[in-house]
Amino acid sequence: MLDKPETKTTVEEQFEPRIITFLCKWCSSAGSDLAGVSRMEYPANVVPITVMCSGGISPVYILSAFNKGADGILVSGCHPGDCHYIKGNYYARRKIYLVQKLIEFVGLEPERFKMSWISAAEGAKFTKVITDFVEEIRPLGPQEKLKVDRR
Amino acid sequence: MIDIKDLRKQARELLDNEDVKYVLGFQKGTATFMSTPAFITEAADTENLVWDPTCVHNLALYLTEERKMRVARKETEGKPVGIVAKGCDSRAIVVLLQENYFKRQDVHIIGVSCEGTGVLDENKLNRLLKGKAPLNAEFDGVGHFLVATKDGDVKIPANEILADRCLECRAPYPAEHDTVYGEKVDGGRLDPFHSLEALEASAVGDKWDFWKEQMDKCLRCYACRSVCPMCYCEECVVDSITFMVTPDTLPGQKANRIKWIERSNNTSENFGYHLVRAIHLAGRCIDCGECQRVCPVDIPVRLLNKKLEKEAFEMFDYEPGTDSEAPSLVSSFLDEDPNDHIL
Repeated sequence: MLDKPETKTTVEEQFEPRIITFLCKWCSSAGSDLAGVSRMEYPANVVPITVMCSGGISPVYILSAFNKGADGILVSGCHPGDCHYIKGNYYARRKIYLVQKLIEFVGLEPERFKMSWISAAEGAKFTKVITDFVEEIRPLGPQEKLKVDRR
Repeated sequence: MIDIKDLRKQARELLDNEDVKYVLGFQKGTATFMSTPAFITEAADTENLVWDPTCVHNLALYLTEERKMRVARKETEGKPVGIVAKGCDSRAIVVLLQENYFKRQDVHIIGVSCEGTGVLDENKLNRLLKGKAPLNAEFDGVGHFLVATKDGDVKIPANEILADRCLECRAPYPAEHDTVYGEKVDGGRLDPFHSLEALEASAVGDKWDFWKEQMDKCLRCYACRSVCPMCYCEECVVDSITFMVTPDTLPGQKANRIKWIERSNNTSENFGYHLVRAIHLAGRCIDCGECQRVCPVDIPVRLLNKKLEKEAFEMFDYEPGTDSEAPSLVSSFLDEDPNDHIL
């Protein structure tokens, strides 16, 4: 029998959080595109989901993502006044605020759920938000509180 | 003090003149000394009406049931329903009017003021009496209840047996009414958000431990949903009826029948149910505390709704159940809404 070749890892394996981002089609999604075509570097931990408007994001999406094991969730929309649908992002601002307060109240780390305004021209802001978010989530470890246990 | 005779007379007049279809009120309970809801159709039965601190139910629930029955019978016109409404019931009616669930002329509100007391919490009472069955409870007008039991009267401070929601009530006087009985009073005995203080101050981990223990108890009996006057949706996100997955659902169809929240009873799904319910009630919950009262496993459901009520009040200056013309909390916004939570 052959001995398995010894593998030595020089770099300590670190936890890679999985982050779900809900990006509005008109601004944030285009912003992430800009980051891509400009060859900006940002962590590959992001699962982008394009939605038509940040105002259309139901709190159920958020809970469902946590249920399926998201370590962090970012909701991103157009800056106030820039909404393609005039006022969708204002509705989102209220709704997301309430959801943030509620999940914090039940004991989920508030850092895990964020919201940002990213315009189509802000590729650099997108990479910064994502990089910071990943670095903030990493020390928290995997999100196991709201993840469904299918064992 | 409200003279029950006035209330009965008013109900009798409404029925005699055929102004209302029936009167929703409270009657003496048969199982315990707590009152039960009464549906009074005959003028003679108005003698059964009672009004005392055991009238805990939120009768606005039956207005939504009435509306559903009307829709099922395809009635467009009908006589209004008379309802005996406390402060919280009246707020519930205002929210239902605000949502255009029924019209103002569909309901005749006989307001009753709680006059600085409120209703009793049966759990608290049973705990204090240590198993002795209460026969009657009377407020002495200052700060105590005289609870009659078989072994004589017990004097209990009001703050110890009143329901939490009554202690924290901000509007014990029914603002929306056709006729009203009792004195106009403001505010409860405690700070409106008193029950949240301890939990809000605790650490993230402690909050989680507390809620996990509570949510793991949940049986998913949906009693909280059934009793809630605001949970009137024909179909609930947690148990879809139209798009049910049955043994003969084809795999392709299954993929399209998204289930946001499963029925299975585990921590994550229970949290999902309760959090979604809390969000649905944001800016609509008028804190009648019925969800918590009916919970068979004593989950403090009310706290979740209270938390959102607090946030709505402090950040958006929104108080549910005060104005039937105002837009609802999540269907409106202000330019000066908080922006600090956004990167």
